[in-house]
Amino acid sequence: MKTKKKLSETIYDKFSIDFLRNQVLKNAYGNDDTVIAKLDPRILLVWYLFIGLVPWFVDDIWFLMACFLLVMVTTKLARVAGLVLLLFVVGVFTQTGYLFVVSLFFGGDASTVIPLLILTLKVATCSLASITVFSGLDPDRLSNGLMWYGCPERLSFSISYAYRILPMLMEEFQNILLSYRLRGNPPASGTLVGNVRYLCYQVNIVMHSFYPLMLNTAKRSRTTVEALEIKGYRYAAVNREVKKMKLSTLKVTYTDLLFLAVSFLWIALSVLASALF
Amino acid sequence: MNIIEIENLTFSYPAAGKPILNNISLQVERGDFLAIVGNNGCGKSTFCKVLNGLIPHFISGDFEGKVLVDGLNTLESDVGTLACKAGYVYQDFENQIVRPTVLDDASFACLNYAMPDYRERGKEALTLCGLYGREDDYICQLSGGQTHLLALAGAVSLRPDILILDEPIAQLDPGHADRIYGVLRTLNEKHGKTIIVIEHHTEYIADYCKHVMLMREGGVAWKLPVREALRRVEELRECNIFPPQVTLAAHQMQREKRIPAQRPLPTTVQEGKEAFCHLSYHAAARRDKVRQTAGKAVVSFEHVSVSYRSVKGTDRVVFDGLDLEICRGDRLALIGSNGAGKSTMMKLMVGLLRPETGTVMLDGEDVRKQKPEELSQKISLVYQNPEEMFIKDTVAADIAYAMQARNIKDYTKRTERLLDRFHLTDFKDRDGRLLSGGQMRRASLAIGVALHPGILLLDEPTANLDIATRKEIMRTLSEMEEITETVVIATHDMQLVCEWANRIVVLCGGKVIADGTRDEIFKDRTVAKTAGIRPPEIFSMGQVLDNRALCYTVDEFLQGFREV
Amino acid sequence: MEFAKRQTATQSQKLMIFVLSMALYGLATLFTELIPSFQAGIVEFSVEFFLFIPLSLAMLFDPLSAALGAATGELVFSEIMLGQFGGLGELEKFLTVTIGVYLAGRMVSDPRNRRMVGIAAFTGTGLQLLMSMLVDIFKVQFAVEDFEAVAGLPESVFATEGFAFLNDLLFSGVLFCLLPTLYLVPKLYGKIEPLLGMRPRDGKTGFGGVNVKIVVGACVAFAAAAGAELLATSGISLFEWEAGWAGSSTALAVGMVAAAVIVVIALLVLKARAEKGETVQK
Repeated sequence: MKTKKKLSETIYDKFSIDFLRNQVLKNAYGNDDTVIAKLDPRILLVWYLFIGLVPWFVDDIWFLMACFLLVMVTTKLARVAGLVLLLFVVGVFTQTGYLFVVSLFFGGDASTVIPLLILTLKVATCSLASITVFSGLDPDRLSNGLMWYGCPERLSFSISYAYRILPMLMEEFQNILLSYRLRGNPPASGTLVGNVRYLCYQVNIVMHSFYPLMLNTAKRSRTTVEALEIKGYRYAAVNREVKKMKLSTLKVTYTDLLFLAVSFLWIALSVLASALF
Repeated sequence: MNIIEIENLTFSYPAAGKPILNNISLQVERGDFLAIVGNNGCGKSTFCKVLNGLIPHFISGDFEGKVLVDGLNTLESDVGTLACKAGYVYQDFENQIVRPTVLDDASFACLNYAMPDYRERGKEALTLCGLYGREDDYICQLSGGQTHLLALAGAVSLRPDILILDEPIAQLDPGHADRIYGVLRTLNEKHGKTIIVIEHHTEYIADYCKHVMLMREGGVAWKLPVREALRRVEELRECNIFPPQVTLAAHQMQREKRIPAQRPLPTTVQEGKEAFCHLSYHAAARRDKVRQTAGKAVVSFEHVSVSYRSVKGTDRVVFDGLDLEICRGDRLALIGSNGAGKSTMMKLMVGLLRPETGTVMLDGEDVRKQKPEELSQKISLVYQNPEEMFIKDTVAADIAYAMQARNIKDYTKRTERLLDRFHLTDFKDRDGRLLSGGQMRRASLAIGVALHPGILLLDEPTANLDIATRKEIMRTLSEMEEITETVVIATHDMQLVCEWANRIVVLCGGKVIADGTRDEIFKDRTVAKTAGIRPPEIFSMGQVLDNRALCYTVDEFLQGFREV
Repeated sequence: MEFAKRQTATQSQKLMIFVLSMALYGLATLFTELIPSFQAGIVEFSVEFFLFIPLSLAMLFDPLSAALGAATGELVFSEIMLGQFGGLGELEKFLTVTIGVYLAGRMVSDPRNRRMVGIAAFTGTGLQLLMSMLVDIFKVQFAVEDFEAVAGLPESVFATEGFAFLNDLLFSGVLFCLLPTLYLVPKLYGKIEPLLGMRPRDGKTGFGGVNVKIVVGACVAFAAAAGAELLATSGISLFEWEAGWAGSSTALAVGMVAAAVIVVIALLVLKARAEKGETVQK
């Protein structure tokens, strides 16, 4: 039961909303001077399409390892926030790790391990590739890149707006939770029953706090939508000229091509290795 | 030439009984600096939304009459065209900013309207609004005042001839407020923009505006040149607008026949100097507000350091080795500019923030070692934004919540008593958010004192309120003395500070730079200057006439200054 | 003229709902992404989703905007912001959430009717879970080659997925979707609408309920979702070059390496030149 107690402590003390907000924002804006952030988003998306898709179709261990190492390097280059990496590790483990345990339970043996190991490599590679692209890039550049490929304008607006509103939303949520915390009276934790009740209480509070949050956010979004109307957002959505102007800031440089070429070289080497050995 | 012409405008929201704007006819000259005044809910904001076409194009309702903005009929043009004529800055301006970086937001509108020089326009607007050099910053790195300037820049970038601002300085310290109005004056005088502000602070109206329009129950009572308008003391007071203190003092003197009746009332300190020149100061029986005896220390900060993690670069240090004791019986006002650490201090006291070094002691025990649930019996915090205090769906349930959670037996009775005391019984079944500003405040105070805490902390209890509601809150505050012994208020409202506090603590740069009674604080001009605070206007008036004079209220001024 | 005006008004309202739903549900999913799940034996008890937020909004306002907003919110906040973006496969979640929320919203013609709200919330949640379970099963089947050949794998996949579905429906579905929706909808009704400047939904202004067209539309969308997910994980038939390439000949590999080396060197030279040119220009 120790873990459970530790867990609730982690959620409510160490994983404070402040910390979370800071990590998310750091992830978005704190690393805009890295190599990855300076790349052209379109090039990076093409690269992602390859690294994120191809491993699914290949079972060659050399090739998969090479892809994995490559994305590890790019993730390092992108200086991704710690929280995101932690989530990645937990995510990969729960996705395939638990499948592994279950298949052992149903009488699997060593023959189960190899496919699952390969599956894990695939999952990890794709996750890291997406972390590189989506955490490494500035949200604005990312949304511009997506728009260039014809993603709906609404989506690219949502991405930049989400980053804008998140700090405000979290602060509001935090204050509401603090209201509960100051005025509420949670059951004592310590024993097993106490811990379970404490946890239930906390979950209950989080649920209830969405009532005030919804109303407060409704008030805000009204101003926002009116302001968007004044600022001509709706005109821009249907105006091709605007899209062109937005995208004119994107430029492919030699660095971008070099990045592609080096990645390609690395993959080619792995194919060579696989053919030789 | 008139830039705005309105004929018989009537507007009502759907499903509302009576029109919110009632038969308005009005002309505004090009290059005017117009202040709109009126009590809460008289339709000021609605009126402004008519000017930029949001009404009727975006907000539906019954619209009658004709509105011409720079020769364009708002009914016949779309919001986009009108946005280039009239820019609008909301009261909750932070929701108006939709892009993550400064230049991006300033040029967003221009980009949307496909102006090829959108970046230049954004930069130009930022320069005009005094944000030059911050182009690439993220919004979260800006202070409250700067965020407001950015919202203004977003409107200015379209180069509209008219700028409309809804309560631009409600939450700002005097330094930031002066900056906003300074920018507006430049835009008005140098660039010929017509400026319309909704404003409660008549001192600012007197200093900056050219005309004043009074709205009453959805109609225009009158529109007059600023001096003339502010001299209509009675009429303004009926609408809960309080003219500048100098004007009020002179008005009172006129009624007492101490200054001649035909003499126009002064509206600024400058004018007051002439009007009151025949008076001299008598340091009669006045006394400073002092603490009877300094009680036992209930909260003490010992070498407290706090800093906030920042997204980029070094962390922002709020406190560095802060020491302070708050004693039983204190009525302490915490003042200082935006970002001086007032709210942080309050959060430290209720244990919501952990100091990096040092300790905060409450009743001789470390705050962090006490559970927040237990703390709430001793200390209570009322947020600046009352909406965040409302967690239940009715006011009554909100007040009862803390008592109910603690199984206090007669909580229903106590709730009723509180509702009664704070004059909330009539709307006890309404959601707190749907109440008016003053009612919301009162409800949040009632929630704050529900558990009879020994210490009550109030963050900006009078922000965003019109003067009548402010008075009401002040009255409530004095009534509350019976419930709580120690009260701490963080505020920019110097009138509140001077009338209420018996101890003033000035925060600046993470340190307490002054701590004492109001005389001790305001006599020393260097303190006010470094901390960016400003005494009430009437105090400055007294000082200009006689630097021995320390009058904090109109009444004190009337008593202190007599005919030779 | 009159008609056009009304249409813009509703469009703005839709945008408002979209923004509201996106922000709130996005925030909630950001948290669920962070709250670890409890493993009790093989059963996973996780706070699966805060679907009650878009469900409530869809019942009170325009269902499609609320549904799309929620799906976008999840995509942006928890996938893109935290770098958990799973590529094309996210389309599956996007579409199933949209379908579930949209249908639930359409089912309620009067939010004051608690029974209607309850049934709709439960149906919406169940549909979403059912669809994602089906897709999950397909996914593993395609991802692991020789699915049937691996000992114990098919049974374990069916068992865990089936169990997860029931568990999610009864645990998350009731606790985190049904009950909060039942709590929120009547409480918000009549309060949140004025804040957004809208009229509350009643029997008359309600949407036409669920008809054949919508069901067919939902089925098509689900097919698209499943297709996208499978494309993301398998695509065996689509990429036939794969077979020959994986077991490629050495010569081809050498050629690839050589070509890559040449391209890298060429680019390096070009880049150096370009930079030189820039400095000269300056």
